[in-house]
Amino acid sequence: MTTSDLLILCAAGMLVSAYLMVGQKALFTTIRLYALQSLLLGIVAATIAVSESRHELFVTAAITVVLKAMLIPWFLMRIIDKIGIHREIEPFLSVPASLLVCLGLTVVGYRVSTGFPEGARGVSHHLIGVALSMLLVGLFLMVTRKKAITQILALLTVENAVFLVAIGVTPGMPLVVELGIAFDVIVAVLLLGILVQRIVDRFESMDVSRLSKLKG
Amino acid sequence: MVGGLLLTFGLCVATARQFLGGAVPAAFGDALRVDGLSALVLVLCGYVGLVSSTYGVGYLRRNEARNLVTSRMRREFYGLIPFYVFAMLLVSMSNNLGIMWIAVELTTLASVFLITFHDTDTSLEAGWKFLVLGSLGLAFALLGTVLLFAAGQGHLGEGMAALNWTRFIQVASSLHPFTLRLGVVFALIGYGTKAGLAPMHTWKPDAYREAPSPAGLLMAVGMLNGALYCVLRIHLISKAALGPAFSGDLLLTLGLLSVAIATPFILVQWNLKRLLAYSSIEHVGIMAVGVGLGGRAGAFGALLHMTYHSLAKPVAFLSAGTLAQLHSSSNFDRIGTGTFSRAPVASGLLVLATLMITGSPPFGLFFSEMTILKAGFFSPHVTATSIFLAALVVLFCGFAFQIGGLVLGPPRDPKDRRVPLPERFDVGMATAIVVAIVAIVSAFYLPASMLALIHAATQVVWEGA
Repeated sequence: MTTSDLLILCAAGMLVSAYLMVGQKALFTTIRLYALQSLLLGIVAATIAVSESRHELFVTAAITVVLKAMLIPWFLMRIIDKIGIHREIEPFLSVPASLLVCLGLTVVGYRVSTGFPEGARGVSHHLIGVALSMLLVGLFLMVTRKKAITQILALLTVENAVFLVAIGVTPGMPLVVELGIAFDVIVAVLLLGILVQRIVDRFESMDVSRLSKLKG
Repeated sequence: MVGGLLLTFGLCVATARQFLGGAVPAAFGDALRVDGLSALVLVLCGYVGLVSSTYGVGYLRRNEARNLVTSRMRREFYGLIPFYVFAMLLVSMSNNLGIMWIAVELTTLASVFLITFHDTDTSLEAGWKFLVLGSLGLAFALLGTVLLFAAGQGHLGEGMAALNWTRFIQVASSLHPFTLRLGVVFALIGYGTKAGLAPMHTWKPDAYREAPSPAGLLMAVGMLNGALYCVLRIHLISKAALGPAFSGDLLLTLGLLSVAIATPFILVQWNLKRLLAYSSIEHVGIMAVGVGLGGRAGAFGALLHMTYHSLAKPVAFLSAGTLAQLHSSSNFDRIGTGTFSRAPVASGLLVLATLMITGSPPFGLFFSEMTILKAGFFSPHVTATSIFLAALVVLFCGFAFQIGGLVLGPPRDPKDRRVPLPERFDVGMATAIVVAIVAIVSAFYLPASMLALIHAATQVVWEGA
């Protein structure tokens, strides 16, 4: 298997995991899917780091795996355990319909990706296509789901998509910036987690569609 | 805290003076760099930080007197406000797009706990919406930054300096157009969310209502200026590479939409602080229209508007905050009408502030709005300018109707047992009065150095240097 095969396989795996998240209602599984997606992102980064000897990408890969494939999923699972809510309720749109919409979004993502200049790597076209599709699927997940945890996961999927673009089309963001971004992401997730706990304490539910007092 | 922020404001002014003296203060390999635009935003943010902290001390003391303040609240308040100001100042000095993003994210993180400060149902709702929408906006901004970086591949060079705004401007003509366009759109939407441009404005009314007034003020002026600073930086890269029309038209559209959307919500508003939030959406819209119209006059109008808005908005926030605190709520039905007889100073200041922020002569915002309108009618966008003018008129009427009813209406039902607190002279009120005097004086006499600063900032926005 060549490097480009591996890259395309991993990227496709990320997209599939995003699709599975759309079709999934058990929250634990959704979190595991996110962890898998982040792991694949880490592998993509590491593969490019090896094949193009861009060693700073190893740092990106390490941050991604430790932070997003292990730490954040662990934290989210702990919250779910604590509050004892394990399943997503019926989304605003049924699962088959959602998957069809996501299919359309993937077509749009790939269509937009054709506008980019052909990089040195032929695979970068696929990486961007997958990334833009994931971005749209993440946004879709965000607007159709009601549980606070699912919304956090949707946000993190969007974040992963942005990182895939960063790895796929740029020679790597400066390291300081990357560290800063990683730090901000983890703090944001921590805050979201704390807010979820406070919301559950008060509303005895983490159904965000109940947060509807403020209007006008 | 007040002393620290006084010192900070002093340092901001000193930095701006250094800039006016001909120097371009820079640090960390140009990651932080103060040009005209930075200097202007820096001074305004420093001023708002000082006002907000001084008023904040009074605000907390009033609540302490009623035993509403826990030690957690005190810790959060005195920790988060300075941190917020720090993050805002970092935004306004950043020349590096990566640092800029990180700093904006820091302001978001700092404000979440300020919004949920009072720990009520509605404040949790507002905090959640703010954090989710804000994070989404920032994810977009990050994607935009990444795409801008990708557009300059091979031209921007290596290392940290590759993300410097000045570098982008230097190599603007060789940026890849498609990638750049996509990046600009994402970045403008992302930072536009933070600035509260419609249709990404929905977090604003909730957040303003729930946050304690000093923190609301930081968001309404500091955050708004900071986010607009980011929007302008992105606009300038796009302008240098693609010409003024692409991002200019986008800004014009978003700006007009903001002004138009604010109109109906102001007319039917039920809450004083939410009213101010819609006013803030309107004003950021006006600034975006000013920049989007293009031309030197439009840019000057927008920056003049930013300055006067930063001076006038605190008056509105501090007086509205005081009224809300006296009545333990910012809902119109809880405050009741005829506040003038109960709290003459706060009500008087609120009327004054309303005149200022609706752009009535002889106050500053009238001049800046006139400048933008004039720029608009001399530009090809005459239709857009006409819509803009119509919306401004309706907004003025809406505000006059709402605030007039609140302040001058018939006095409260004497049988109502929720008696409001009496107005007392304290640090908070003193701050409000001083801020009002500054705002009035600035309408007639803007110091020459301040005007020079606005012109320098206009130079940056107009010529990108």
